[in-house]
Order: sequence, then structure tokens, then C-alpha cells
Amino acid sequence: MEGLPMLLLTLTLWGYVIGALAGLLCWQREKLANLLSFGSATLAALGGLGASVVCLVGDATSFSIRWDFLESAVPYLKFSVRLDPLSAFFLLIVSSLGLALSIYSFGYARGFYGRTKVGVLGAFYNALLLATTFVFIADNAFFFLVSWELMAMTAYFLVTFEHEQPEARHAGVLYFIMSHIGTGCIILGFLLLFQASGGYGFIGFHALGERMSAGRRDAAFLLFLAGFGVKAGIVPLHIWLPAAHPVAPSNVSALLSGVIIKSGIYGLTRVYFDFLGTPPLWWGVTLLVVGSVSALLGVLYALMDHDLKRLLAYHSIENIGIILMGLGAALMFQHANHPLLGAMALIAGLYHTINHALFKGLLFLGAGAVQHAAHTRNMEELGGLIKRMPRTAFFFLIGAVAISALPPLNGFVSEWLTYQSLLQGFGATGSLTRLIFPISGALLALTGALAAACFVKAFGITFLAQPRSVQAERAHEASPTMLAGMALLAVACVFLGLFPNQFLPLFDPLTDQLLGVQISRQLAAPGGIVLSSLGLEAGTVSTLGITLTAVCLLPIPLALWIFFGRAAARQTGMTWACGQKTLTPQMQYTATGFSKPLRIIFKALFRPHRAVQAEFEFSPYFARTIRFESHIEETFEARIYRPLQRFILRTSRRMRALQAGSLQAYLIYIFVTLLLLLILTL
Amino acid sequence: MNLPDFQLASHLIVLLATLMLVVQLLMVTQRMLITNIRLFAVQSLFLSGIAAAVAFFHHAPHVYFMAALTLAGKVVVLPWFLKRLVRKIGIEQEMHPWINPPTAMLLCGGFTLLGYLVARPFADTGNLGSNTFGVAIALVLMGFFLMINRRRAITQVLALLCAENGLFLAAISLTTYGMPLVVELGVFFDLFIAMMVLGILVYRIRATFASIDVDRLNQLKG
Repeated sequence: MEGLPMLLLTLTLWGYVIGALAGLLCWQREKLANLLSFGSATLAALGGLGASVVCLVGDATSFSIRWDFLESAVPYLKFSVRLDPLSAFFLLIVSSLGLALSIYSFGYARGFYGRTKVGVLGAFYNALLLATTFVFIADNAFFFLVSWELMAMTAYFLVTFEHEQPEARHAGVLYFIMSHIGTGCIILGFLLLFQASGGYGFIGFHALGERMSAGRRDAAFLLFLAGFGVKAGIVPLHIWLPAAHPVAPSNVSALLSGVIIKSGIYGLTRVYFDFLGTPPLWWGVTLLVVGSVSALLGVLYALMDHDLKRLLAYHSIENIGIILMGLGAALMFQHANHPLLGAMALIAGLYHTINHALFKGLLFLGAGAVQHAAHTRNMEELGGLIKRMPRTAFFFLIGAVAISALPPLNGFVSEWLTYQSLLQGFGATGSLTRLIFPISGALLALTGALAAACFVKAFGITFLAQPRSVQAERAHEASPTMLAGMALLAVACVFLGLFPNQFLPLFDPLTDQLLGVQISRQLAAPGGIVLSSLGLEAGTVSTLGITLTAVCLLPIPLALWIFFGRAAARQTGMTWACGQKTLTPQMQYTATGFSKPLRIIFKALFRPHRAVQAEFEFSPYFARTIRFESHIEETFEARIYRPLQRFILRTSRRMRALQAGSLQAYLIYIFVTLLLLLILTL
Repeated sequence: MNLPDFQLASHLIVLLATLMLVVQLLMVTQRMLITNIRLFAVQSLFLSGIAAAVAFFHHAPHVYFMAALTLAGKVVVLPWFLKRLVRKIGIEQEMHPWINPPTAMLLCGGFTLLGYLVARPFADTGNLGSNTFGVAIALVLMGFFLMINRRRAITQVLALLCAENGLFLAAISLTTYGMPLVVELGVFFDLFIAMMVLGILVYRIRATFASIDVDRLNQLKG
């Protein structure tokens, strides 16, 4: 059992290394570079997938395989890796998404031939996967930080990959700054842990919180929340995310949204559930509140955005919020000493983590195919693509249904588990703070509804009706490898949706490691296809059952149509033409129009601004030109970040006066300091 | 060592230290560069006298060595080098100081007071010359002040050398035999390097700015 995962994992790591080197070495021969780097990544991801599955499926008890990957001459820094259930689970996420993305990339990277260096893209892509894998399996705080920074750096280079565009450069700088603020917080957090344990090994950190003073423990909690929160994209630290994700190449966007932001979730889970011991109540409350706010604001901003990829990026914020709701509820249950409920909430959060990786990856790949074909991300210029790229549209639809948490797909299963844990939390805990459970449950419901509305918009405007531009008209279907990558993810989404009971046992070693219980048998109701929330009376659902019922009911409308529909006289006209002879793209519903009601309802948040300028010929009825402008306020940038930026600039400008460049001035500083010190000694 | 000898030595050292202080005050008011250099040479002479007295009463050969080094370096070589530099550049006077001489004298009086106040806890350790520690601090402070108050690079280096004299005196007054020989040698070597750098720098500054006025250096700022 020990040998196989170790071998597979080693092969995986070397596979990424070889892929990165191959990409760099043959950067002049594009086709070869494409084949070698992404081929190597495909095989490596396959190895990682094998390693994690072997670990998670093999044995239900928690396991831990540990070895030194490289020898290190630096004290405290050990290149030791460990594969425990939590690591294996996140390795599963990065490998499965990496596999699909690498296959997709064969076709996608062809779009870069002759424009930019495909080999460089492949090299950084492999390096990013390597660094992310290291983050998930590092067993030493220093090694973790090194991998963390390597991940941030390679992600930066990928975000600015199309550096000819100023948009990409700005996004890169913003990402760089935010990422470093986060890393600073994480380093401080690890130093606090180091003070208590005296070493940097993760094993020594286990349940360390019990030995720390309350103040330091709370400080560590907040530092890690801020540090990993930046990476995960929680509100209000999210601003880099909608800027950076859209400008990266689409396979990288999928990786960023699917896996990189999950490294924040991994960090939070690792620290809160493994290191910091039994949490006080307010930790869980904080996480739950942050999660609810992130979920709601994420989806609201997504609704207002008409850039297909930025819309998806805002949805990542929403989904991170939903994941945090699960984790927060789990922390609260842990405080209240309800390990079973805690395990269910944790499973809900982590189930949603892998679900989000899959469907968000799928959606980004779909968006990438659209961008690849129509050369724009602006939804107002798309439309009618379902006729030109039907397969892409189908896969995008599957992703959209999954992310909208509609049964029977995977998003529904994890959000249902989150609901169940939130609803049962009200009955299971005592104090007044339990009111937060139904409130955040309600917010989750609102979020789900808004997400569905948003994807009606995203899918409808992009794929249905008539093309709104020439580019959209000329769009073509994606290449076979791209479709294969999407198909892989779509199948995974369907599988995780229809067969949760087959997947849940994978969580057993994980909950056993972190909370000491295994609950997959309680969650799977007798019969095998029904999912229950810890007991039949608490609440059950069966996605497979719903699907089968739907399939069984399908003959009824068919029969009705055969019996009644065919008999009626039929007249065929254009859809929604209102009697007009022709329909032009200008008559279509636009994305802006579709989201208008919500813009009005949430006016207080969005502060929409509109301006109409018209020039008239001779009377107010004959306008020559009309200019219409409408945008919403970017609340966090305008209210938090810009004042902060101004403050920093102002302060630095004042401090610059100290740096006069005059020798005498510097001497005076020293002299005055000396005099003051002397006088102080008197 | 018998008592009269000790008292005699103590008186001698205090006398020489006072003379150093007086010379330093003269330097604060003096604007001619050549005179300043001469005054520095005289101050260094007194310092080497103190070192010689300490060495004589303690029979410590390495302090003799330091006295000789001071005599050779600070009384003969450095003043000769600086004078040559001044003649080469052809500048005789210090420009207007920031603070006029009467005020500067008052300030220096204040520094002397501060020096004595700070030195009070060390005044009666019983070492030979321990009562000169206040003078030493005053010399360091005045050297520093002189450095701020002057604009020519040469006088600033001169001020630095004065402060170094003060440090030397402090070392003698606080410990029995002065600083360890190695440290003193290191300090001397530093000064030597500083003078070399100065020699090169002054020409450079003049070549670039047509002046050796350090005020202009702020044009180098980015």
C-alpha cells in the first residue's frame, strides 16, 4: 500500500518537471513543444490521480505516507512530503482537473501558434501544476511557503502571459501585490505556530492550538484567514480574482479558478482542523459570516458582469463562500462537540470544493472555446453559438446546470449537504448564535437562485438567439481534444451528481484524520442510491431517483403530444417575432437588459450610474447620435482600496521629505538621535 | 605606583584634556582652513601627550606605541596631507556656516555640560584620567556638530577626525590601558582609508560640480 502511491507521486512530480523543461527546450518548434509539455502533464496528472485514488480508496482508516523528496542543506527547511487523507483529497482535485485541462490544452494551445511561444506556456503550466501539487503535499512550513511562492510566481507569469495587453499587465501587478500581502500574513501565522512547537514540521503542528495561549491562537486564526483568504478570494480580499482570471489563457483560468484558489481552502482546512485544535465559537461564526457575504456578493457582481470569463471569476468568489459556509459550520459543530454534524459540514464544504473545481473548470474551458472561436469574451457581442458549436454548448450547459445547483448534478449534492448541516445546526446547538444557521441557510438559498438566474443569462445570451456580431457568426466548433477535455469534466460532474454514495466513502479517511469519525455509512441510506443527512428522518434525497423518475415520466408528455398535439392544425412562424417579418440581432434581449431588474432591486449596493447624451438634427424627435453609458460602482475598489492606496501614497510622499539628499540633514538625524539618547540616560 | 605620582599624572592628564577642549572651541570659531588643520594637529599632539602620560605611569608599552602612532599619523602625516590638498584646490576659507560663531560657542558650552552630566557615573572609577570622560564626550559631540555646521568636504573630514580624537580620549579615560591594540589599529586603518577616499572624492566632486560644497550633493538624488 505504501509503495505504489509513493512511486506514482514521484513519477507525477518528475512528469511535471520534464514537461516544463521540454516546453522550454523546444520553444522554437511549436508543435513539438505543445505535444511534449502537455503530453507530459497529461501523464503526470494521471499518475497523481492514481496515487490519490489508491490512497483514498484502499483503506478507510487515516493513513500517512511520508518521505523526503530531496535532501536539504538548509536548517529547518526539509523537502519532506506527506500524503495523508487531506493531501490526497486535494491531490485528487488538482490531478483530475489537470488531466482534463492538459488534454484540452493540446487543441487550445494551437491557437497560439505563430503569435506567442507555446513552449513557454507549456513550461509555466507544468510548473504551476508542480508547485500546486507541492503545496498540497508539503510536510514542512518552509517547504510549504517555498511551494506557495513558486505557485504565486508561476501564476503571475501565466496571468501576464499575453503581456501585450495592458489589461493583463495591470491584472498581474494587482495579483502580485495581493498575493504578497497574503503570503506575509501566512508567514506571520507560521511563525506563531513555530514559537509554540519549536519546529517547522507539520507533524509537530498537529493539535498545537491546545498548547498556545488564547490570544496567540486567535491571532493565528485571523492571520491565516487573511492570508489564505486572499488566495481563496473571500470578500473583501477578492479584487484580484475578477481581474486576473479573465486575462489568463483559458486553460490557465480554469486552473486558477479550479485549483489555485482551492489552495486557500486547503490551507484553511489544514490549519483550522489539523493544527489549531478545538476552536472557540467565534471562529466558526466568522467563517460562516465571511462565507455567506462572499457567496451573496460574488453572485450579485457576477450578475452585473457581461464579460463571460469575469462572470465566471465572480462565481468562483460565490462558490468559495459556499465552501467556507461548510467549513464554518464544521468549526461551530466542533466547538459544540458534535463530531458527526461537524463531519457532515466538512464533507459538504470539501465535496463542494471538488465539485466547484470540476464544473468551474468545465465552464472556463467552454468559455475558452467560445473565446477561441469568436475572439471576444463580451457577451453582448456573442449569441447564436449553439448552432455553430453545439457540442461546446452542450458541455457548457452541463456546467451551468451543475453550478446552479440544480438536481441531478454534482453542485446540487454538495449544496444540499451544506443546507442540511446548516438547518440541523439550529437544533443541535444552544446559544443565541445558532440564529446564524438559518440566516446563512436563507442567504445560501438566495445565492443559489441568483446563480441560476445568472447562468440563464450566461448561457442564453451567449449560445441562444442570433449572433450579435460578425465574429460570433463566423465561430466554429472547438477541436476534438478541446471537446475531449470538456467531456471528461462533464462526465465527472454527472458521476458525482448521480452517484454521491459511491464517492462519499473517499471522505472517510479524511474525516477520520481530522475529526475522528467516519460517516459515509450514515450518509448513505440503505439501498445505496438515497443520500440522507445522518438518518432517514432528518432529510433524504436521491439524485439518481430524481433522474430515473424524470426518465420514467418522459413518455407522458410524449403520449399527450401524440394524442392531442398532432391532431391540431399547425402553423409555423418565427419564434417571438410578434408578427414582424424579420428579426434582427438588435431586437434581442441583451445581457444588460436581462440583469436590469436585479440592478434595480440591489440599487443600494450597485449604485448604478447611467448617462445619455444625444445630439439632435433639428427637432428633439430626430436624434443624430445617441450615446448611452451605464456602469455600476465597484464598491470595494472605490470604498476600501482606493482610499487605502491614496493614504499609502500620501504617507510615503510625506516620508520622502526625510530623504532630502543633503549630507547635513542626514548628519543632523544621527546627531539629534545621539543627543536624545544621551539625554534619556540622565 | 606611589600616590604623589598618581596625583601628578592625574593633574597632567586633566590639563592636557582641557587644552584639547580649548583647541576644539577655537576650531569651532575659526574659518581659515589652514588654521583649522594646524589646530587639529595641536589637539592631536595633546592627545598623544595624554597617551604617553598614561603609558608612562602604567608602564604599558603598547600605549606608548599608540602615542607614537598618534604623533606620527595625526600630528605629522594627516595635517601635511590635508594642507597639500587645500593648497591644490586653492580654497582657503570655510563658507558661511549654518550657525554663526557666537551661537556655536554657546551650543558647544551646552555640549560640554551635557558631556559632564552624562559622564558623572563614571567620574570616580579610580582610573587614571577617568575624570576626563566628560571632555571626551564633549569632544565627540562637538566634532559631530562641526561636521553638520560646515559645508566644505575637507572641514567635515577634519571634524570627523576631531570626533575620533574624542573617542580615543574616552577609551583612555574609561579603561586602564586604552582600547585593545587591535581595535586602535583598526580605527587608524579606517582613518587612513577615509583620507584616501577623501583625497579622491574631493577632486571628483570638484570636477563634477566645480565646487567641493557638499550642499550640491543633493543633486545626485534620484
